[in-house]
Order: sequence, then structure tokens, then C-alpha cells
Amino acid sequence: MMVPARSLRPNAPKPPSAPIGHLYIHVPFCARKCHYCAFYSETANASLIDQYVTALIRELELVAPDLRPRTVYFGGGTPSLLNLRQWERILDAMGRLDLLGADEWTVETNPATVSLDKAKLLESHGVNRISMGVQSLDQPLLERLGRIHTRDMVFRSFDTLRRAGFDNLNLDLMFAIPGQTMPVWRATLREAIALGSEHLSSYEVIYEEDTPLFQQLKASRLDVDDDLACDMFEELAAQAAAHGYRQYEVANFAKHLGPQPLGEVPDRACRHNVNYWRGGSFYGLGPSATSYVRGVRTKNWSSTHLYCQLLAKGQRAFESTETLSPMSRAGETAAFGLRMNAGWPFDEFLRVTGFDLRVEWRNDMAELERQGLAKLRPDRFQLTDRGLRFADLAAERFLRPFMGSRSRF
Amino acid sequence: MFTPDNIYYPRYYVTKKLSPKAPSLIYVSHPHFVADNFALFRPVLRGIVARRCLQRERRADAPTNRKTGKALSRAGEGRGGLALPRPGSARARDGGWGTRTMDLAHIRNFSIIAHIDHGKTTLSDQLLLRTGTVATRNMEAQHLDSMDLERERGITIKAHPVTMTYRAGNGEDYELNLIDTPGHVDFSYEVSRSLSACEGALLIVDAAQGVEAQTVANVHLAMKQNLTIIPVINKIDLPHANVPLTRQQLEDILAIPADSAIEASAKEGIGIESILEAIVARIPPPKPTGAISLQALCFDSYFDTYKGVVTHVRIFNGELRRGMQVKLLNSGKNYEVKEVGSFNPKPYERPQLEVGETGYVTANIKSPKDVRMGDTFTDARVPSPPLPGYQEIHPMVFSGIYPINTADYEHLKASMAKLQLNDSAFVYQPESSVALGFGFHCGFLGLLHLEIVQERLRREYNLDIIATYPSVIYRVRMSDSLVKEIDNPAFLPDPAFVAEIMEPTVQAFIICPNEYIGDMMALVSEKRGLLDHTETVDTKRVMLTCRLPLNEILIDFHDRIKSLTRGYGSMDYEHGGYQVSDMVKLDILVNGEPVDAFSCIVHRSKAESRGRALAAKLKEVIPRQQFAVAIQAAIGGKVVARETVSAFRKDVTAKCYGGDISRKRKLLEKQKEGKKRMKSIGSVNIPQQAFIEVLKA
Ligand SMILES: Nc1nc2c(ncn2[C@@H]2O[C@H](COP(=O)(O)OP(=O)(O)O)[C@@H](O)[C@H]2O)c(=O)[nH]1
Ligand code: SF4
Ligand SMILES: [Mg+2]
Repeated sequence: MMVPARSLRPNAPKPPSAPIGHLYIHVPFCARKCHYCAFYSETANASLIDQYVTALIRELELVAPDLRPRTVYFGGGTPSLLNLRQWERILDAMGRLDLLGADEWTVETNPATVSLDKAKLLESHGVNRISMGVQSLDQPLLERLGRIHTRDMVFRSFDTLRRAGFDNLNLDLMFAIPGQTMPVWRATLREAIALGSEHLSSYEVIYEEDTPLFQQLKASRLDVDDDLACDMFEELAAQAAAHGYRQYEVANFAKHLGPQPLGEVPDRACRHNVNYWRGGSFYGLGPSATSYVRGVRTKNWSSTHLYCQLLAKGQRAFESTETLSPMSRAGETAAFGLRMNAGWPFDEFLRVTGFDLRVEWRNDMAELERQGLAKLRPDRFQLTDRGLRFADLAAERFLRPFMGSRSRF
Repeated sequence: MFTPDNIYYPRYYVTKKLSPKAPSLIYVSHPHFVADNFALFRPVLRGIVARRCLQRERRADAPTNRKTGKALSRAGEGRGGLALPRPGSARARDGGWGTRTMDLAHIRNFSIIAHIDHGKTTLSDQLLLRTGTVATRNMEAQHLDSMDLERERGITIKAHPVTMTYRAGNGEDYELNLIDTPGHVDFSYEVSRSLSACEGALLIVDAAQGVEAQTVANVHLAMKQNLTIIPVINKIDLPHANVPLTRQQLEDILAIPADSAIEASAKEGIGIESILEAIVARIPPPKPTGAISLQALCFDSYFDTYKGVVTHVRIFNGELRRGMQVKLLNSGKNYEVKEVGSFNPKPYERPQLEVGETGYVTANIKSPKDVRMGDTFTDARVPSPPLPGYQEIHPMVFSGIYPINTADYEHLKASMAKLQLNDSAFVYQPESSVALGFGFHCGFLGLLHLEIVQERLRREYNLDIIATYPSVIYRVRMSDSLVKEIDNPAFLPDPAFVAEIMEPTVQAFIICPNEYIGDMMALVSEKRGLLDHTETVDTKRVMLTCRLPLNEILIDFHDRIKSLTRGYGSMDYEHGGYQVSDMVKLDILVNGEPVDAFSCIVHRSKAESRGRALAAKLKEVIPRQQFAVAIQAAIGGKVVARETVSAFRKDVTAKCYGGDISRKRKLLEKQKEGKKRMKSIGSVNIPQQAFIEVLKA
């Protein structure tokens, strides 16, 4: 720990470098666009999906040599929109490329597109975690959000998934939805928790630019009530805690079910996401996906056509790349890791970034502690419960001026 | 000589609404406001071009339009556009303009005064045309045709006096000098100076509109100068013209004999001859003062990059020659005359200007500040006493001007310096504000002037600026009876040492349809005004004369009149004296610390409501902090209003995964930068934008 941090040459490739252990795959198709959604996805069309699958397999082939996935995450879009045939092609390719066997393998699903066949197929190939986009259990709100599923579908799909053998399920819930009152939120929470998923992701509605919801907000047709949003979060935290969920990140709650004592995170936490917050490397494949590999961030084109064209030629589909200086990268890593309740263990931070938090961020940590937003412990720095509600404020402090390069392809 | 394109066309008062928010304000291109960058005038000019093109067609076969031919447009011909001397005229006898042209009995100096849009510009055109001073068609063709957008930027718009020759009905030739005046009370000092260079004035009244408030104010100024007034009832061609009623109004409101008015249509060219005859017959010729040497009144000036200050003068006594050593009596400085000349309407050099005449003089004067309007040039070796009426020009209205983008400070400073070159009445000095950063405390002649300067900074200099609430000069009598003048609330002395505060007042004329008297009276009393008297203008309209505090008419008085009367009311004012008032300093405090940009001096009766409104507005724009923020309005330390911005309870992005990190980091970086630029008042971080929002509201 007394090593002068800067002399470590942080993140210099350590030959021979270990393969990357985390894989994200973006499936850019949805049955219909939700009103709040800013993810890259387009309306499904069977032949485009086939082309996409071909291109994705091509992309998998390109990165496979550098990949030994411990976590895999299929997100979207709506991965569950792929039909059995398409899934089989992807799973076969993964088998062929020796990408199966991850410890944690999550697939996102929309309650309207879950079928027992598909669920069983996935399960049989090693998918062991399903994340279901529920958002609300109030039918009028679901419609307001432009979701394609009904509240009944949520309950049915949940059963289907359980029957297919999944014992690690996440439900996504949204609060502070325009028109959502506290009683409505409480009812959704109660019913969702009653389902007994192992994991809850729950976040306040975000008004993303270029979404119909944002337009409505701008046209002042919506009221943003920060106090109500805070109350709703507090309700969530209280209900989750009362039912055995432990918060391990700003918006994530998980049960701890195993025999081992509780570590940094509960055992049903999403390891894949933890890797993001802790500044780990990962490959992101598919249109619009981001990779972060040994300090270099690349982003694929947000166009399925372009993506398919480039991969057909055997090229990666990079839209841009960004390489931060070690210090800016460390600042970013520090900032985002603080979103986790466990905060940053000093030794791990040093290992990941090559910098010592207690040297470079000493004043920032002291100031946040003074404001009652954080706790400086012997082995780590972490935000308090209140601090987590001000995680952006803390993150800003930890960022260091941008140094590095960005370019577009 | 003047280059042909630094003069666009003579004495156009360019009129234009400045902004939808200030519908009452009219842009007046006064000689002091020469546009060295053309952008501001582009839309205005388009209007003129359109209008004049129409006129051109009409005038093409006007009987009096002498075809002086293309020759006038040839560069290098100082006399371009000048009507050729007629055989037998005084000028022809003397061989042209080069030498003494007229005896005093054949010179007339006059101005035109009018309410806006009553036809001053159009009538001026007609006079130039009818006297053959300008062959409109050629003149316009030259200047307007070459006016492509790129070239516009270099052109200068300039108003200046014009010398015309007119052969009167008696067969004799007269030299008529039309001396232009700005049309707004803000510039009343300049108007007075211009008027004092004349012996008479044409008063134009629109036959369909009748006498308006500005007519009244202008006539007052002219009468104070003892000018002969020739009333002209214009636009008689309009179907709803009401000549008898207008005559009656002249008599009733302005005490001008109804039968002295000339009926005209500047547009149709009707009555022009009668007006010219009246100028000759009714306006007295200039009289020498009897002093021993030169006395030349400076009534206007502008800045020319090559020649320095070009001063417009009227020779009251003696003569002004090239090469002469002259002294400016007020400043005491001596100069050598480089050039003298007149306008016809283009400037042309002459060897001398003689008694009774008007023209321009250049003398290598570097700064417009060195020539104060109203000052007198005299012979440096044999000085005469100054002409009466010189006054320092004092700004009446003050406001802080700040760049919205702090990086623009230097640009703003340079722009203000440039602006001042042609607007010596505009004064400024650096100041800094906790809320707004570095800027300038600026003084203006009045509200219109303030608006013009701001608008020019925005448009011509491309600056994003914010102005603080306008203020006036208070006179503060201290307990030890010393009197201080305070134009910045920050410097108002502690009330404990103040015996009384006096505020400037105006005498305002409001003319409105009868049915709005009640509304007008209510407005006047809301503005702490006192009604002096009411007069009937005609069966439908009344004129209210009242005294009001200047500070009450600064913000929205004119707009309120316009909206209360559905546009039928008009208002103008003259500066009145000072009156003792119960003025207090209103402070706005954020967590106990005053926000300097919002401190103001207000009447006690207004302080509380103003304080409440400001506090409420601030509450809307101050971002929530981690702690509750108190916003208070205090009068002399006593809190009269309070608002609270409750603490925010969260500052966190709801959702953040791998793909979002880069974008999110950029957002946070931006936010962090923004916070660095925030002002901290009472340990509350407030973006400058918040203050700006409140000031804009
Ligand atoms: N019908 C009519 N319109 C006129 C007459 N004189 C001026 N105008 C119009 O009134 C408007 C204002 O004229 P202008 O000369 O610019 O007024 P100024 O503001 O006093 O200079 C213009 O549209 C003119 O064309 C006139 O005698 N008859
Ligand atoms: S299903 Fe998900 S990805 Fe698709 S539009 Fe809705 S929120 Fe966006
Ligand atoms: Mg005009």
C-alpha cells in the first residue's frame, strides 16, 4: 500500500493477458417501443432478426479467442422475442466457440414473450437467471408506459419460468411514473414481492431525451414530484428490507440464500452488473453495445443494418472508441463503484486502477464524510444510506478531468 | 472629402420596434447612433428600400423632379446631386457654392418636429425633391442598387442637416437649412440643441390621428426656444382625415392659431409649395449676435474613422474657415480647422461657413467626448463669449450590464468603447457583482436610450448580455445636510445618517380616448403620480398632464398605457425636478447574504410587494441544495417576505449499467463544470442563469 501509486503503470497489458470474463449481448428488437425507452431497438422483422443472428455469431467468432465468460447477459431490446430457431443458432454457436458454462447467465424477457419451450431451451443450455421487465403491476400505468404486456402476463410468465426450472429471477420495477400514486406503488411492490423473486431492480422513471415521455414532460404535461419520488424510494427500501432483500446498489436488491456468510454483496446479486460498477472489462456485442476491454471503450453502431453489413465483411462494427488516461479512468471507476453499498475496498481499487484512493481522493472522501454522505472505514470507503441518494454528487467529486482520446470510425 | 458610401442618405430617422417585449419603444437613428455595423439596420433599411422604391416610381414623373442626370453619382464630385445654379440666382452670381452665397435675409434655419409616423421623413423627402436638392431617382438608384448584403456592413447611416435652395414666389432664392432632430424625450437635450440652431420649426400633425403626446412634448421644447412654429396638417389625402378637428386640437391643446396650419399630403405632394413659402415668409432670418468674432454652436456630432469627430455647427456670428485657429469655449481646447462644409444632402467642402449658415467642421478631434453638444466654437485669438444654453449632458437612468457568458467581458468592454464613440451620452464604468460577475455600471439619457444601447450590443456586437433593473439618480440629504447623488443602490448610505431622500420626477402627457380616463388615472396613482390637470383634446380624447416619479415609469408605464387603451393612448414626458420621497433600500437575502444584483431603491409603499415578487421568482430558479435555503426580502434590515427552497433529498441517476457509463460520465463532468461556475451566496450554489432568469422575468 505504500507503493507510490503512479509508478505502477496501471493497466499496462500484462502479457499474456487473461481472457475477458464477462459478455454482454444486445438484442435490438422489440415488439413495440415503450414510451420512456431510449435503448437502441427496432420493431422486429423476422428476416432482419435472422441477419442479426448471423452477424452476431460472426462477432462472437471474432472475440471468442479473448473470451472465457464467467457471466453472460442477454439484454435489449427484447431477447425473448427471438424464436426458438434463432435461439438455437446462437446457443449452438456459443457451444461451438466454447462460450457456454458461465457461472451466471442472464436473459432479459418481456412478460408478453415468455414461452415454456423457450424457457426450457435456455435453461438447458445453461441460462440460470432471468430478468423480467415488469415495470408496474397497475394496468393503466402499463398502458401509459406503452408496455406490450398486461399485469396478468407477469404472473403467468413468472410461473412459466419457475416451471422451466429457474431459481434466480429478477423483476424490474419503475416508480415515480407520471400518474403513479403512493397507494398504486405500494400495491405493485406488495404484489411483486409476493411473487418471491430472488432479485429486484427498481428505479425511478428517467426522462430520456428523444422519448415520447420526455416530450410530454417538456410540453409540461407531466409533473415531476421529487418529494413523492423520494417517498416512493423509501417505501421500496423499507418493503424490500422487510422481505429479505438487501440493497447492494442504488437500484438493486437481492436475497442472500446460500449457506456462506454475507460478503460484499448478497449471493443473488447480479455478478455481471457488479463487474460494471467495479470497473471490470467486458465484451459487449450486437448493435449499439459497448465493450470495455483493458481500458479501451468501444461502441458498436446503433444500426442493425450497418452492424450486419460490417460483420458480413468480417469487420467489427465500431462506431467510436475512447481511451482514457489512467487517472481519468481511475476517477471514473471510483465514481461508479460508489453506487454500490459496499463502496470501494482500498486494495481492490488499487488492484483495478493502480491508484490509491486514500492518496488521490483523500480530500474528497473527507468532505463527503463531513457532509454525512459517506463513511471512511479502515479497509474501504463507502456511501451511507443517505449518501447513496446523493451518489451523483459523490461521483462528480471523484471524477478527474478528461484526458485521453475519443474517435469515431 | 467624405467617401460616397460612408454616407448612406441624409437624415433618415429610422423607426422600428425593437422587440416584441418593448412594443412602446421606437428606434430613432440619431446622429449619435451611427451604425458602423449594419446588421441592426438591415431590417429597417429593407423597409426604407421598399418604401422608397414605391416612391421612386411615383416620383419618376413628378413635375418638380429636375433631371440632374447621372453626373451626381460620380465619385469625387463633392457637389454631386446638387441642383445646378439657376441663372440669375444669388448663387449663380457668386459663381456657385464656393463663396458667400446668401445674405442673411435669404437664409432660413428650421427643423421638423412630429409624433412618430406622422410623416416627418416623407415630408423631408418632398422638400428635398421640390427644391431640386436631390434628384431622388438617381440618388436612390446609385445607393440602393449597390446595397447587397455584404456591402451593407460598411455603410454608415447618418442624419445631418441639409442645405436647400428655394426660389420663392417673389422670385428670390433662399437658402433653407433643415436641421434634423431626434424624436424622443430621451434626447430632449439634443433636440433642444438642434432647435436652438433654428429660428423656426415645422410641426407635423397627422390629420387622421390628431395631436399626440409626442407632439405636445416637442412643441413645448420648440416654444421654450422661442421658435416660430409652422403647423402642417399632413395626410389630408386619407379618407378618415379630419382637418377641422385637427385644427381645433392645435388651438385647444397647443395654443397654436388654427388658421395658421397648412394642409398637406407629403405622400401625394400636396401643399409642399405652401410649406416652402411659409418657411420663407414666417420664419425670421438669422440675426448676428453682435459679438466681436466667431460664435458657432455645436448641435450634433458623429465619429468618422478618418477625420475624427465631425461636428455639426450653426454659425451665429462671424465665420468659420479652413485653417482657422478655433477654441471650444467650454472645454477650453484649441484646434485648427481642417475642413468645413455643408450638406446638399451629401457633404461637400466649402472654404468657409458664414453667419447664419449651418454645416460641418472637422478639426482632428480625436474623441467625441471632447465636443459636448451645446458648446461654442470661437476664434482662438479673439474669443467671443459662449452662446447661451450649454449644459453638461447627464445620464438619467442607470443599469448594470453584464455578459451572460463571463468570457465575453473583454468583448463587451471593447464594444462599449466603440459604441460610445458615436454616443457620447452613454457612459459606463466597470463594476462587479457577486451574482453576475464582472460587468459595467452604465448611464443613459432615458429608457429608450438604454434599450437602444442594449439592443445594439446584442445585435451589432453579437453579445449575450443581461441588464439589472434600471435605477435613477437619488439625491440623499445626510444628517449633516450634505447632499449625495446616488445612482447605484449599493452605495445608498445607512438610513441612520440620512435626513431625506429625493427622487427625480417627470411631467408626463398622456393622451387617450375619453373612456379610458379612469384607467389612466388609476395607473397614474398606482405609479405614485399626481394628476395636474386634464384637457379635452377633442370630443373623443383627453390629455392628462401629471407629475410622476421617473423611477415609476422606467419599467412598464408606456406598455401599460398602450395595453389599457388598446393602443389608442400615447405618452411622452419631460424631466421635472426632484421631490422628497419615502425611499427605502430593498435587499434580497439568500441564507442571510444579500444578492447585490437585486438590491434596489424603491418607495416604501412598493417595497414589500416588490420584495415578495422577487423572493418568489428566486425561489423558482434557485436549485435545491442539500439544505433548506431561505430567501428573504428585507427593508432596512427588517425582513418583509420569506420563501424557502426545501432541501433536495436525492441526486442520483436511477439506473446505470455498463453501456451507460461513458455517457453518464460526460454528463457528470458537464455538471461539475457548471457547478464550478456557480456563484456561492450564503454558501448556496446558484447558477448565474438563475439570476438572469429573474432579471429577465
Ligand atoms: N396617406 C398618407 N400617408 C403618409 C403621408 N405622409 C406620410 N405618410 C405615411 O406615414 C407613414 C410614416 O411616415 P414617415 O414619414 O416615416 O413618418 P415619421 O415617423 O414622422 O418620419 C409612412 O407609411 C408614410 O408613407 C401622407 O401625406 N398621406
Ligand atoms: S421492451 Fe425494453 S427495450 Fe424494448 S422498448 Fe420497451 S423498454 Fe425499451
Ligand atoms: Mg420617419
